[in-house]
Amino acid sequence: MLSESEIKILEYLSKKREASAEDISKQLNMPIESVFSISQLLKEKGYIEVEEKKVIKYELTDEGKRRLKEGLPEEKLIKLLDGKEKKIQELKDNLGKDFEISIGWAKRKGLIKIDGDRVIPLVKEYEANDEKEALRNPEKANKDILQQLLNRKLIIKKEEKILNIRLIKEPLEIKPALIFLTPELLASGEWKKYTLREYNVEAYPPFYPIGKKHFFKEFLERLRDLMKDLGFKEVYSDYIEIEFYNFDLLFQAQDHPAREIHDSFTINGKGKLTDEKLIERVKQIHERGWKYNWDVNISMRLMLRSQTTATTARVLASRPKPPIRVFTIGKVFRPDSIDATHLIEFHQLDGLVIEDNFTFRDLLGTLKEIFNGIGIKETRFKPAYFPFTEPSVEVYGKIEGLGWVEMAGAGLLRPEILEAVEINSSAGAWGLGIDRLAMLLLGLKDIRLLYATDIEYLRNKKVEINADN
Amino acid sequence: MPTISVYKWRLLNELKISEVQLEDLLFNLKSEMKPIDQDHIEIEINNDRPDLLFVYGIIRSIKGLLKKELGEPSYSIKDTDYVFEVKEVPNRPYALAAVVEDINFDDELLKELIQFQEKLHITVGRKRKKIAIGLHDLKKIDSKHIIYTVVNLDYKFIPLNSDKEMSVREILESTPQGKEYGNISLLDGKMPAIMQDDGQILSLPPVINSEKTKIDTKTQSLLIDVTGTSLDTVIFTLDVIVTNLAEMGGKIGEIKVISPYADKSPLLQHKSIKITTEYINKILGTNLNKNEIIEYLKMARFDINDLGKEIEVTIPPYRNDILSQIDITEEVAITYGYNNLSPSPYKIEKIGSLANRTKLIRVLRDLSVGGGFTEIFTFTLINESFLLGDFVKILNPITVDYNSVRNSLLPSMLIFLSKNQHARMPIRVFEIGDVVIRNENTETGYSNKLNASYAIMNSRVSFEELQAPLHEILNSLGINPLYKRDTHPLFIEGRTASIYVNNKKIGIIGEVNPNILEKIDIEYPIVMSEIYLDEIKDIL
Repeated sequence: MLSESEIKILEYLSKKREASAEDISKQLNMPIESVFSISQLLKEKGYIEVEEKKVIKYELTDEGKRRLKEGLPEEKLIKLLDGKEKKIQELKDNLGKDFEISIGWAKRKGLIKIDGDRVIPLVKEYEANDEKEALRNPEKANKDILQQLLNRKLIIKKEEKILNIRLIKEPLEIKPALIFLTPELLASGEWKKYTLREYNVEAYPPFYPIGKKHFFKEFLERLRDLMKDLGFKEVYSDYIEIEFYNFDLLFQAQDHPAREIHDSFTINGKGKLTDEKLIERVKQIHERGWKYNWDVNISMRLMLRSQTTATTARVLASRPKPPIRVFTIGKVFRPDSIDATHLIEFHQLDGLVIEDNFTFRDLLGTLKEIFNGIGIKETRFKPAYFPFTEPSVEVYGKIEGLGWVEMAGAGLLRPEILEAVEINSSAGAWGLGIDRLAMLLLGLKDIRLLYATDIEYLRNKKVEINADN
Repeated sequence: MPTISVYKWRLLNELKISEVQLEDLLFNLKSEMKPIDQDHIEIEINNDRPDLLFVYGIIRSIKGLLKKELGEPSYSIKDTDYVFEVKEVPNRPYALAAVVEDINFDDELLKELIQFQEKLHITVGRKRKKIAIGLHDLKKIDSKHIIYTVVNLDYKFIPLNSDKEMSVREILESTPQGKEYGNISLLDGKMPAIMQDDGQILSLPPVINSEKTKIDTKTQSLLIDVTGTSLDTVIFTLDVIVTNLAEMGGKIGEIKVISPYADKSPLLQHKSIKITTEYINKILGTNLNKNEIIEYLKMARFDINDLGKEIEVTIPPYRNDILSQIDITEEVAITYGYNNLSPSPYKIEKIGSLANRTKLIRVLRDLSVGGGFTEIFTFTLINESFLLGDFVKILNPITVDYNSVRNSLLPSMLIFLSKNQHARMPIRVFEIGDVVIRNENTETGYSNKLNASYAIMNSRVSFEELQAPLHEILNSLGINPLYKRDTHPLFIEGRTASIYVNNKKIGIIGEVNPNILEKIDIEYPIVMSEIYLDEIKDIL
């Protein structure tokens, strides 16, 4: 079966019998590369014979073209001397870069001699006719001149492939082949006059950009589903926060080291607080517990929230009616060096349960259930310290191949906090850093890959079907 | 969290335990250890337990966990004839002192004591602002009357580790400690000083001690001074130091104090908290009886007074982390063992729910992928030079690359595209995420705004190429938008439209201006769009 282009070439050859690829390309108005590849196909099908010849061609370099136009340096020199001797410095100033070359060639050709700092011409006029003729017509030039021009880098030698194509088998039936069926061809039945061209169906296809969800966002969505499945209601709050919700309401003393400049990002300006009763109660619990003068101005400083517990604090400040179970997943910001395991913005999952008789063991059970849902079957609990919880606990999870990894901080909310927001039930809360956990569970070597800026990385990333198991 | 370096063998020999056991016991004290070398380990101490910042404090606690010693240790206290007189020091008014005698130091212990002092300075002392500690060799003090007062800047003495006399001014200007801590307590050209009654300075709190009373391995008795801005913290700090030194065999010596707030020191302040078994069991979800609870509290080194229905717990002077009943409860949980508290089976009470924004984001992500866009995830923080209009600047950025909070997703997307010019074209991407804008109606004056951005980069792009899929996405959300010719600093004039629904602007679409492309070194044309999801939430 022959394609349209194959047929065109065979038709041409059946008149000419023999032609060069270049000739075919020109006559049939077909790119030379196509002629090369189609003749290969026709040769394989036994229609033609291809003879390959190599031909040497000469081509002028950029310098060669310029010299042909402007004259060779030694010509310029003789013209400049004009039959009189001149100082080297004067010639240098005049000829610039060409000076060295012109002196070299003029000397070699016996056109000048040098005496101290002066150049004495031996001829009055000079035209490099042989060289210029050779530049105009390198194929016909004499060998020595050609070699000289090659050495002077005025021309370069190129080897070219010439294909001579000869018809050896007359095609029996030239029935054109079709690439595309069209509605017209189908409606008219015309298509029957054609053969349908074969494709190379075993070749790889060209690139096709498909749409794809981001793997880390998918991880975050799975966590959201998990929390929902466990009966939690999703809440959220803004990135810019006042210290009151990020720290004060959470019983974090105003001179606590975590509130220092290198532990959170600060923003110019002051926020405002309107809940006078809440301010007064927070002031009381701080002054009673930490024994210092609590300053409402410090609590109104602006910052980028350093923990999603700020969201939990806002839920508490709204004085919700128990029983409640809420969670939030969001970004937090902390100054740090950025490297394979550290980022300055990352995600946390914070949760809060307020229920009558919610015990520490209930909290441990909740945490265990969450980690179970993430795919971490073994958990271990360690005493810990957080300003806003007591008892406090750090949760460790066992990850295949890595051992025990710290996963979350949790605890029962301090009675001081519940008192400030006038809640009589007990409450458990936790904060879970997500990014490093995702990095470990997704097997990434560098946490920055969660925010990869290489689209090919995202395109090539395998989509996890069941990453949480 | 502070870490301390400890000579390992002292811990293992005093407690007669193995390294593995030690690691386990420290775990229960909220601490972790890791080896430094053959003889030393690094221990991480939680901020709430300054009493563990010295090896003998750790030994005291572990002895309780091992039941080698129960309840609060009793330390012998003797009278001394030293007098500590506090004069008026306006900006650092509180000071107390104590003596500890009969201590034997070796090189390691001396190093650990100085480390203890430094770690207290950083944690409890808030970098010496709240309190500062001076440790002196008692034998080198030749006066029984010590005075806390202020001196002017011409006053002279030989500071620690120096061999020449310097004025206070020189110390503040030329020593590293002077430069770092001088400003904390300098007021009206005067500095607080602790001196003998003959005028010889022993220390210049919180800056530096004198060379005169420098401690070394031959030191057997110490005078300890603590000065600061909080009386409670001064009392606690002195108590935690003297009790930890007493734990290694020192005899605490009491000093007469002339001050408005104390007449002797150390105060060795105790307090007591009453608690019931019901309270503890209710919090923990346990079923412990009173005797068990008393045993666990004694293991936590508390003295107990059984009052029948209630238990009275005496809090030793070195525990400043026990504020109320809940802290006692945690002590019971810790000595009982967190891993012995079996987690309760999880019960689901109500069905959960996702925020409306999450539902919208999910639908839009599906539609966007359906439109052939690949999702990207960029940082919220960005260099300010990429932003237009009003935005939040960070006062203390880590790097200029992330010194501001974005107010639009488009700049992040452009940066992303600039890094992908060698990738296979076309690039069709989208992102849904939060930006931050000014909002006078919130407590902070700012609020998050949820946006979606789309872009196509290719060797040739057209407005319609993006508009067409975007239009279908919006249509699928039930939105029938209008496009109105507009201008935007990022886009080419005449190739920019604002997107409207019901006369409300819900987004912008346009082809990126070549000036912008040139500025961020992008060699491919781009067409992009940003949709303001908060504006369409109400329509949906």
